[in-house]
Order: sequence, then C-alpha cells, then structure tokens
Amino acid sequence: MIDLLWTNLDYAASVILFCIGLYCVVTKNNLIKKFIGLNIMETAVFAFIVALGVVEGGDAPIMGVGASAPFTNPIPQALILTGIVVAVSTTSIALSLIIRIYQHCGTIEADELREME
Amino acid sequence: MPASALLVSVIIVPLLGAVLTPVVGGRTGKASGPWAFGVMLVTSAIALALIVHVANVGPFSAYLGGWEPPYGIELRFDEFSASTAVICLLGTLAILFSFRYAEKELPTERIRYYYTLLLLNLTGMIGFVVTGDLFNLFVFMEILSLSGYALVAVSGEHTAEMAAFKYLIMGAVSSLMVLFAIGLLYALTGSLNMADISVRLAGAAKAPAMLAVAALTVGFMVKAALFPLHIWLPDAHAIAPSPVSAVLSGLVVKTGLLGMIRVYQIYYGAKVLDLSSLNMVLVWLGAISIVMGAFFAIFQEDIKMMLAYSTISNIGYIIMGLGLASQYGVIGATVHIFNHALIKATLFLGAGAIIYRTGYRNLTDLRGIGRSMPLTTAAISIGAISIVGMPPTAGFLCKWYIALGAVEAGHPIFGFALVFGALFIFVYYIRMVNTFYFLEPVHPEILEVKEAPLSMLVPVLILAALCLVMGVLGRIPISFIEPAVIRMLAPLGG
Repeated sequence: MIDLLWTNLDYAASVILFCIGLYCVVTKNNLIKKFIGLNIMETAVFAFIVALGVVEGGDAPIMGVGASAPFTNPIPQALILTGIVVAVSTTSIALSLIIRIYQHCGTIEADELREME
Repeated sequence: MPASALLVSVIIVPLLGAVLTPVVGGRTGKASGPWAFGVMLVTSAIALALIVHVANVGPFSAYLGGWEPPYGIELRFDEFSASTAVICLLGTLAILFSFRYAEKELPTERIRYYYTLLLLNLTGMIGFVVTGDLFNLFVFMEILSLSGYALVAVSGEHTAEMAAFKYLIMGAVSSLMVLFAIGLLYALTGSLNMADISVRLAGAAKAPAMLAVAALTVGFMVKAALFPLHIWLPDAHAIAPSPVSAVLSGLVVKTGLLGMIRVYQIYYGAKVLDLSSLNMVLVWLGAISIVMGAFFAIFQEDIKMMLAYSTISNIGYIIMGLGLASQYGVIGATVHIFNHALIKATLFLGAGAIIYRTGYRNLTDLRGIGRSMPLTTAAISIGAISIVGMPPTAGFLCKWYIALGAVEAGHPIFGFALVFGALFIFVYYIRMVNTFYFLEPVHPEILEVKEAPLSMLVPVLILAALCLVMGVLGRIPISFIEPAVIRMLAPLGG
C-alpha cells in the first residue's frame, strides 16, 4: 500500500491538494478565501493531468536534428495550457464580481451578506 | 456547401458575430440587438440545413484542420446534436425579446456587451452539442458557463452579483470535476475522441473507469441542477434578466443533461462497467427532484422564483427518464429536453413581459393582470398547461413516455412519483392562473397596463403556439430521435 502510494506520489499529492481546495470552498466565509480554494482545486487538477504525460527521462517533444526518444507526452500540456486560460477567465470574472459586491455591500463575508438579503 | 463546412460554420458564425457585436453596436449599443438577431437567423438557417442532412443520411462528421480522429478534433452531428435547432430558435427569440427589455432594464453602456455575452453563450451551447471530442466539450462548456455567470450579473444589482458568484463557485467546481474525469479517461485510453474512447475503454481497468464516470456524473449533475446540487439555480435564474432566465432555464441546464447523454454513449458502448446501480441512484434523485422542486415552488411568491423551482422538478423528470435506461424512458427524456426548453422559455418570457409592463413580480401584486394583458397571460396559461403535462400539449407526450419507460424498466413505482409530482406542479400553476384571471387586483393601476410591445409579444406567442403544435405533432421528434436512442441502448441488449 505504502509502495503504491510512493510510486504514485504525484497523483496522491494532487488528490490532497484537491481536498484542501474543496475544504476551503465549502467552509471559508470570506469570498476571496473561497475563491482561492477554487484556485487550489484548479491547480490540483492541472498538476494531475500534466503528471499523466510525464515519461521517465523524457525530452521535450521537438522534432529536428538530434531529437531522440523518449519524449514526454505533449498533449496533456497542451490541454492544461487551455485549462489555464479558462482558469484565468474564471478568476477575472470572480474577482470583478467580488469587487462589485464589496462596492455595493461594504463586506465580502458570506454570513454578513446573507443577513443583508 | 458540403455538410462538413456547414458543420464548422454553425459554430464559427455566432462566434464571429459575438466578437463583432461591440464593434457594430457602437457606444450606444443601438445596432447590436438587430445585429445579434441577424447572426442568429443565419445560424438557424445553417442548423436547419444540418438537421435535414442528418435526417437523410444519418450522423456525419467534420475534421477540424483536416486532421482525422483520434489525432484531430472531430465535430460530429448526430440526432442528439439536433438540439442545435432549439438552441437557435430560443436564442433568436430571446434576442428579439431583449430589444425593448435591454433598453429599459440595462445600463446603456452594457447593452452591446449583453448581446455579446448572449451570443457567446449560444455559441458555447451549439459547440457543446456538436463536438465529438471530449476536451473540446470541456472548452465549449466553459465558454457557456463563463458567459452564463456574467449574464446573471449583467443588470449590475448587488443581489444579481451575489447570485452570480454562488453560481460561479458551484459551476467552476463542477467544471473541475469534468476536467479531472477527462484527464482520467485520457490516462486510461490515450485518446480524447469520444467514439475512440468508447472503443478503447472496453479493456480498461474498472476502478479508474468508475471514478471517471462518477466525476462526470457529479459534474454534469451540478450543471443540470439536480437535487441536492440545485442550490445555485433559483437565485441565479430568478434574478437574471428575463430573456437570460429563459436561455439559462431552457437551454443552459440542458447542456448538463446532454453531457450525461454523451457519457452514457461512451460507457454503454464500452461495456466496461455495469451502470445499473448508478442509474438507480439517478432515478431516485430524479424522483426526489420532481417532488422537492414542485414542493418548494408552491411556497414562492415571486413568479420567476416559482418558475426556477419548476425547472428543478422538470430536470428531475429528464434525469429519471435517462436513468431508467429503457427505450421509452430515454426517448421521453430526450424529447422533454426539447419540449421543456420551449415551455420554460414561454413562461419566462411571458413573465418578463409582465414584469416589464407592471414592475411587479410577486403574485399578489399581479392579481387581475389577465384583464389588461390578455395575450401574454393566455400564452403563459398555455405554457402552464403544457408543463403540467395535460394533453394535447407538448408536456404530455414526454411525461407519458417516461411513465411508460418506468413500467418498461420494471419500476412502475416511479410512474407514481411522476404523477404525484405532476399533481404538485398542477397546484402551483393553477394558483398562478387563478391569480391572473380570477382574483380582485390589489393595485388598481394594474388594469390600466398596456399589452406587451410587439417585439416581446411575438416571441411569447410563437413559443406558446409551438407548445401546442409540438403536442399535436409530437410523433415527429420522437421518430427522429428513436434511431439514436436505439443505437445508444443497443449494447445493453435491450
């Protein structure tokens, strides 16, 4: 069991990160903290998918003179590049919403906002 | 034009249209509404051509950049992708409805961005239903979700922004679930093409395949707002501008369901897991959703809040039909995806027209509105009858099919849940119709209100007429979707 965990340390780490992020999203009261939790979850998933493509001793997959196998798998990296773009857009929308909420209500604590409603 | 070029342009046209909207609209945003309307008309024409093609020759594909799958991105148009038609129809009518609405309810400088976001949202949905690539599916899902969050907040009121934030948090977590599952499936099969994954998954390890299907199901369940993951929906759908509510409630939640259908297509084909226990969970959650959604709706004063809760119970019907995994059940569920979109759009746009004219949204304040806005309230009443599922309206046929599906799958008890839910739904829609027509007005000025302006009345009346027509001609969508459902369920040996 421990061996299995040790050989898959990268996956285990991303699962733990994912859980930390989810914990923040669910329990934190401050909207910014909630949102940072979401970012941690995103990082966990990205790390997991990039780790999928890693090949032991692999080179960057650039063809040309002197290129020799093994190569790392470029597809997960390409996917995550797109994923990061999506994450940045989510971040910008969320932060601008938080700014607007603060301007209107003067607070970003979820419980105080709920009382206002 | 060859079919594959048409298939690409059904995404490109609205996408380009969306990008150009702020430029065309200018500072005042006056031209942006008609421009968006024109873009959607062109897109609708393309979608119609595609559906005619799929009805004649069956599913077909386009390869982006000429790269064949599994290496390139494949767009695939099958019978389920025909929901493009309803996306285009509702999108076009919602934009038409927005002309007057946006002018009054939105700050002037936001109007052009409002249309941009609406077009982007529709592009995302069209892309979502026509793509054959799992990662591409995720990207389109994010386009429609991100524009959805912004659309909820577009009015700039603080309640709207809070609702949008809640929606964003739930939506982003569910997107991550889906992305995680896509990563798992890629690790298992080395492919991102859905048809290819389905083939390669057959020999895969069971545990990760199960984890992937669980993550996908939960992710799409949040998008579809199935009980108990529905908590973001009522606020977001009730507070958003009415045309946006119609699009969100009629279409955006449905993408979660179409996503589930894609997952089923992969997993049924691969035969790697026995999904019957997952299906049982879905049927139960669907049944609970039907009853709870209807139950909460009864106590709502706000007319749009009531409609939002009613969406939750209708999602329950559809999930139940999908989970039954019998031919009738799945056909009923798929057709209800189309029909509920029509019905809910009628109701939300009608409610929007009333709110536009009166400024009231509580049922008590709206007493007697049937006398001053007869056409709008008549349309809403048709929508109400349809959603309860009375023959000969659009809602009846699908619910009948889902009930037949419950019997066919050997669980007639869920047929009772369905009827029980319909009774609940009947109660609160009767309450609404009663308020409109038979109660004495609280505010006398409500009798002086004029009928909705033409650009609002036309979409509402078209949709109401379609609710009736789809009830009478219900055979057409059913026979259209039947071969796809038979193909999907064939590996189950049914």
